[in-house]
Amino acid sequence: MEKLIIEPTLNSPRVILDPQKNQFEFSGESRPENVRNFYLPILEWLEKYAGELSGQDKSNRTISIQIQFNLEYFNSTSAKYILDVFKAINTMSDLGIEVSVRWLYEEDDEDMLEVGMEMSRMSKLTFDYVKTDE
Amino acid sequence: MISMSKAEVIIDFKGPISFETMEMLLNKLRSAKEFTEMRKPAKKRLYGTVVESIDNIYKYGAGDLAALKNKKKMPLLVVERKGKDFTVTVGNLVMSENIEDLRFKLDRVNQLDMEALKSLYEDVINQEAGEADRGAGLGLITMALRTEKDIEYSFVPVDHEFSFFKMQITINE
Repeated sequence: MEKLIIEPTLNSPRVILDPQKNQFEFSGESRPENVRNFYLPILEWLEKYAGELSGQDKSNRTISIQIQFNLEYFNSTSAKYILDVFKAINTMSDLGIEVSVRWLYEEDDEDMLEVGMEMSRMSKLTFDYVKTDE
Repeated sequence: MISMSKAEVIIDFKGPISFETMEMLLNKLRSAKEFTEMRKPAKKRLYGTVVESIDNIYKYGAGDLAALKNKKKMPLLVVERKGKDFTVTVGNLVMSENIEDLRFKLDRVNQLDMEALKSLYEDVINQEAGEADRGAGLGLITMALRTEKDIEYSFVPVDHEFSFFKMQITINE
């Protein structure tokens, strides 16, 4: 599966979806002008990747994926789409793939920690919460 | 009770609001001394409130045509510090026919306690994407979750078609 890399801007996050390197990451700020246009290709990519994984031969199968979220800020419309990203990731865990989500939050940013916990609960995915200095 | 502390103005903007204006206003906020001095959690709450307030203008605003017809009724954004409180005041023209819906959503978030707000947030965020994009009130719920005070608001009729909508959110340092 071809990787998907989106470079960050002032108002949209860096996105790395790279199965070859087993690197999956969202970082930065998310409040793009058109949130739907930004997240739709990402959701489509994840759906396609899940489809590819489900078709894989059992002996030659991807068994674990680690996804990291290091978001400094996202607006409420982005939150909706980020939840959809987690729901899409959850379909991979339904395929028997071990999915681990790292949710980074800045020290004393309790709001970001709490949003992570809500996202985890709503998407039924287990998160590891990682405190960062900055 | 009337607060005795003098307000320090951080942003006082009046004019058409576009996505580029948002960047300019956020830059202004980020570089303000009052902002850089804030503790991180409150700082993020204030930043988020400014973003959601401006987004609210996009979602409910009557748009450029209305602003052109009513040149004196341009959108406004004011951010002030009053002692330990920061206030974000946002104003814009809305179609009078949308007032009822907006009022309903504002009264709803003001009346609910934190637990009920969280449960409403969960209902709304799980709706289909199209619904949540426009008018489902996720931004208002998010703002209400980040403030201990009510969102104050008013509608002042401009003519038979439009009203000027103003709301104020207080973030506690």
